[in-house]
Amino acid sequence: MNTAIASQPLVKPIINLTGVTKSFGTTQVLKQINLEVHQGEVLVLIGASGSGKSTVLRIMSGLETADAGEVWVNEVPLHDARRAREIRGHVGMVFQQFNLFPHKDALGNVSLALIKARKMNPADARKRAMDALDRVGLADRADHYPSQLSGGQQQRVAIARALAVEPGIMFFDEATSALDPELVGEVTEVMRGLARDGMTMVVVTHEMGFARKTADRVVFMDKGVIAEQGAPEQIFVNPQNERTQQFLHRVLDH
Amino acid sequence: MTSDLLMSSLPILLQGLLTTLILSVAAIVGGTLVGLLAAVLRTFGPWGTPRLARLYIELFRGTPVLITLMFIYFGVSYFGYAIDVFAAGVIGLSVYQGAYIAEVFRSGIESVQKGQWEVSQILGLSKMQAFFSVILPQTGKIVLPPLIGQYLSLIKDTSIVSMIGMSELMHQGQAIVDRIGQPVEIYGLVALLYFIVCFPLSRWVRRHDRRRSLLS
Repeated sequence: MNTAIASQPLVKPIINLTGVTKSFGTTQVLKQINLEVHQGEVLVLIGASGSGKSTVLRIMSGLETADAGEVWVNEVPLHDARRAREIRGHVGMVFQQFNLFPHKDALGNVSLALIKARKMNPADARKRAMDALDRVGLADRADHYPSQLSGGQQQRVAIARALAVEPGIMFFDEATSALDPELVGEVTEVMRGLARDGMTMVVVTHEMGFARKTADRVVFMDKGVIAEQGAPEQIFVNPQNERTQQFLHRVLDH
Repeated sequence: MTSDLLMSSLPILLQGLLTTLILSVAAIVGGTLVGLLAAVLRTFGPWGTPRLARLYIELFRGTPVLITLMFIYFGVSYFGYAIDVFAAGVIGLSVYQGAYIAEVFRSGIESVQKGQWEVSQILGLSKMQAFFSVILPQTGKIVLPPLIGQYLSLIKDTSIVSMIGMSELMHQGQAIVDRIGQPVEIYGLVALLYFIVCFPLSRWVRRHDRRRSLLS
């Protein structure tokens, strides 16, 4: 047991994965993953591409189903096919490719789920959507279509869209990987703000600066297993696992 | 063609044309609804419906429209019910063209990135909500040119409904020829009337298909 988990109060974790296994065809991408995330925690998953970190995120958000093991997220048993859909609309996810609705302006993107899924009346939905856009600093771009926004602005709209449904957990799947380097900062800044506000976050990223400064706990994945986890200073300054050392050496020294 | 012949046959043909247009519009609406339903079931329908939709699509794409019309018109009376020839025409053309229209919609649905479905699911939209408010509106540019092309072929297919006795443009032309002969003049006029309706659509399709291929 590492220090980050030990220091948590004895409450039920908001995310709990036990013995999670996943294969695509004959390739086993996750092998017996055990992972807990607590309320308000910022967990950052790092590792080489193909290490399984995005799959962990997709299983936590209900986009993929584990082959074996138990997955509890926000008190929903995602391993139970009959109940898995209860998670929909209660977590937020931000994708590498933004996945904004191209036929809707920023406000339309953010308010759509509120009107269609939550059945809010359009005026209230628009008001809440404006608040969400304001939170990511884009209230003045409400009537812009995705094609009229920069990559960084598009990703901030995507964050606002996820926040508008008031999710209990936010997932970020390489949210800055598709951005030009000069646009990464505006997105990580928004993510830091969420972390400061106490949002529970699970973040897959290649931004080691973000992991180091913002994570409560860093998990290093390698070939479908959790090779090492701990507080950022422990992982970045004094990694124990040889694979972690090699990985950090590669990504930090180029 | 003598102006006498023109004067006497044109009103009859125009009346046939009106029937053709009404039949076309009704079958376009019907075929679009049937096609959309088949495409939805085929791509994300529950239980066994994707296979059922596929069977429907293959069945009607693999048989002539005349057979469909005959089956509906005579088949219904075979079971002791009467069906109006207009209704038989609309239903026959709708289910026949629906099979093609389903494939048009399917290619449009499949052109939308998977991420759009995923984000809709996470935001709490049902599959139907995601389809109608997220996916379908994005298929327009890809679906519209082949869809209009399909409507074009539907309008021309209405001439086959004359075979079960519907008094549309083709049938009226035949009736005139049966009475007074002059097949070249009359059928030429019939063809011209079809062409006047279809040509603008055909040009629209060509222009938009070209624009699409230039963009990609």
